[in-house]
Amino acid sequence: MATPNSFDLNHALHRWLAQLAQSPQVRATDLSELETHVRDSVLQLHGKGLSAEESFWVATHRVGSPAQLEPEFAKVNRKPWHLMIHGLILVLFGICCWFLWGMLHLPEMMQGLLAKAGAVNQVTGYGALPGFTQFLVTLRDYLVIPPALALAYCVYVWFGKSTVKNSWMGFFAVTLSTLVFLTLPIIIAIVLPVIAFMNLMPK
Amino acid sequence: MLAKELVAASTVPLVLSVLTEGENYGYALIQRVRELSAGKIEWTEGMLYPVLHWMEKEALIESEWREAETGRKRKYYRLRKEGRKALQEEKQQWLTVHETLTKLWQPQIHST
Repeated sequence: MATPNSFDLNHALHRWLAQLAQSPQVRATDLSELETHVRDSVLQLHGKGLSAEESFWVATHRVGSPAQLEPEFAKVNRKPWHLMIHGLILVLFGICCWFLWGMLHLPEMMQGLLAKAGAVNQVTGYGALPGFTQFLVTLRDYLVIPPALALAYCVYVWFGKSTVKNSWMGFFAVTLSTLVFLTLPIIIAIVLPVIAFMNLMPK
Repeated sequence: MLAKELVAASTVPLVLSVLTEGENYGYALIQRVRELSAGKIEWTEGMLYPVLHWMEKEALIESEWREAETGRKRKYYRLRKEGRKALQEEKQQWLTVHETLTKLWQPQIHST
């Protein structure tokens, strides 16, 4: 039978912490904080006349069982899924902008093919790209700005100590509106030279 | 003893209020609340830490690991500006509830 003096606080504490450590949601720093808490509590209870074993039992009982604590730590420690959704939206938005940038190369490619076929006259401007298309083609490199702004916003959401809840839905709405706003003129800019070149075809 | 729901709802304003007295660590925060409430507010002590970490994520408080007089490392929490603002809002809400209940529970003056 164990005597009061045979109680090993460190051993008991490590066994108790090991139980908590089994949960992936409880981090090492959480365990350190709880260990300090239990030690403080044991010290105080021991000072009031309880044995080391009794003090440990009361202290750990007051802290709560692993079954009680794990879900509470899980709530605060799990990866917030809205941050991951922000990342996913950012990647998709970046791909869409890159795709639009690529699409704005099409009019020049079409013009190049026609030039090879001798359907473009540099002097008369016959077969040249429409003004609106030329305007958007000169602006295509600026398509790097929307993803850069989206990235800056995501960095703020991921690492900033904001007190505001950052909704992924708001971010999704803004990126989707931006894509619609960009896509419509780009489609027009691509379709215009196609129509113009079709008109040049001999009937 | 207070109802569990009321204890849970009052945790954040209690922590913010105790931290207005100066920076402190988890165990001492619990002792202070126990002392002020004459033992009527009893937390499941370990549950305080996830709340403190949540408050830290919300930028209401900040923390720092420091060596205590016992030689062990201890995590000290202190209020941030946002925490003081949040406390003012909490204060208003709790005072509104308190005033309303006080008025309702005053002895009625019966007209003769």
